[in-house]
Formats: sequence, C-alpha cells, structure tokens
Amino acid sequence: MGLVQREIEAAGMTTIALSNIPDLTASVCVPRLAAIEYPFGRTLGMPNDKEGQMAVLRATLQALVEMDTPGSVQHLPFEWSEPPKKARAHPPEPPPIAQHLRKHPWHLPNLMARNVPK
Amino acid sequence: MNKQVDSFRFLDYLTKQVVKAWIDRAVPQAIPWMPLSKPLADCTVALISSGGIALKTDRPFDQEGERQNPWWGDPSYRVLPRTATAHDVGVYHLHIDPSFALQDLNCLLPLQRLLELEEAKVIGRSALHHYSFMGYILEPKTLLDESVPAIIRHLRDDQVDVVVLVPA
Repeated sequence: MGLVQREIEAAGMTTIALSNIPDLTASVCVPRLAAIEYPFGRTLGMPNDKEGQMAVLRATLQALVEMDTPGSVQHLPFEWSEPPKKARAHPPEPPPIAQHLRKHPWHLPNLMARNVPK
Repeated sequence: MNKQVDSFRFLDYLTKQVVKAWIDRAVPQAIPWMPLSKPLADCTVALISSGGIALKTDRPFDQEGERQNPWWGDPSYRVLPRTATAHDVGVYHLHIDPSFALQDLNCLLPLQRLLELEEAKVIGRSALHHYSFMGYILEPKTLLDESVPAIIRHLRDDQVDVVVLVPA
C-alpha cells in the first residue's frame, strides 16, 4: 500500500494512508500516515458503526490537513473494543501462503526476504 | 500520554516475524510530497482500498491463482462508483475476513461516510470513482508498472486532489 501511495503523491496528489500496521507502512517512506490499532478487515471500525467510522475518517482527513512535513505520522487515539483473541482478525481459512509454509517451512526465510522461489 | 499504535497487536506470531523482517530490510528513500493546495472543503477526495473489492458485475479478483501459487497475488485493480455499497460488491482478499465488509462496506471502504462529509461540506466532493486492488502482493512490479499508472490516469480524469489509502 505504501508503494502505491508514494506513486500517487509523486503524481501530484496529496495522500494519506490509514494503516493498522503503521511500522510497515512507514518503513517504505510514505508522505503521510495515520496509524490505527484496529484489526484487519475493519480498518474504519465495526460494521454499521456509522459514528465510529466517521470519527476515524474525519481524524484521518484532519491529520492530512495538519501535516506539513514529509514522513509525518499521527497515531489516532481510537481503541478497539475487543481483545485480540476475540477480534476475529483472521480469515476463515488460512491464507495460501500460510498453508504453503506449513508444508514447506524451509521457505520461511524466502518470505522474510521477499525472495520468491522460482 | 498519547496513544501509540501497536502495529503487531492483531497479528499472529508467524506474520509478526515476517512483517518485522520486512521492516528491517526496508531501505530509507526520499519521500514524495505534494502539499495540499486548497482548503479540504474545496477538494475532491478519492479512496483506495487494498481489500480486493470488485463490483459483482465486474471480474472477480483471481483467488484461484493465489491458491495455486501462494507467492503470487492478482496485480489488477477495479473501479468502484462513489455510491457502491456492500450489496454491490465482492471482497476477494484471502488474508482478511471479508464478512465484515460484506455486511457494511464502510468498515473497509467508507464511501457512504465520504458522501456524508460531502453533504456536510467538510470536503468538496467525493470523487466519481474509487479504486481497489489486492494487498499482499509479494512481487509488486506489475501492480506498480501497470495498475497504479492506470489508477493515476483515472484520478487525474476525475480531478482528484486528495487520496486516502486504506489497507485492508
């Protein structure tokens, strides 16, 4: 996502990422980043929580307006209401790469190095 | 004490190790910068999601290709109208639980919230079109060389000033 953001900013548009893995997004040097501690699949909040989703979107746009330095990061103050084990943060079936690594654990260093086996 | 977001709170152990390795090997580089040129209330805003969201009337993202080759991800993109709702779309990202966005698309791509901000005159307008691609593309060359330039052309056609990118 960060790589895509960089391209769009370089093309002349003002961009911000709303990221729940901000350390990873920041590592590719994005112009603006709003960090949020929400689980995957619900970056803006729970389904049908209009007020909560709106608060996150407003805070993200406000951060974009206020940021005046390349590489700005703002940690948004929102707290997820469930502990990680109850947050159902994972897909219904493990992603293909996770299933692959169970059978081929020696490929883990490839994944860590983003060195895709040919 | 201000909130410090924990990037790893919702990650499983293995994913956490992989993400840490990716962060460690990232190379610092120059940061592109386009200052906001006018008040937000005059800006056209577009959203981009990495959730693999496509209209039901459009081609689905290729999940089977990723199942066949777990190192591959569909590098294409889809265009979504500004009025799209959960009833109109499929969510194809294999690394997230799509059920939440299929109940209410706004938890992944807040199109209705953006229209409300347009009505409230917080933003100028929600762009005519918004975009999605698949996250977790380990080799992003095709995404960056083909899909992103095409998305940028669409954004320019719609005279978009501000883009909010929402990872899945």
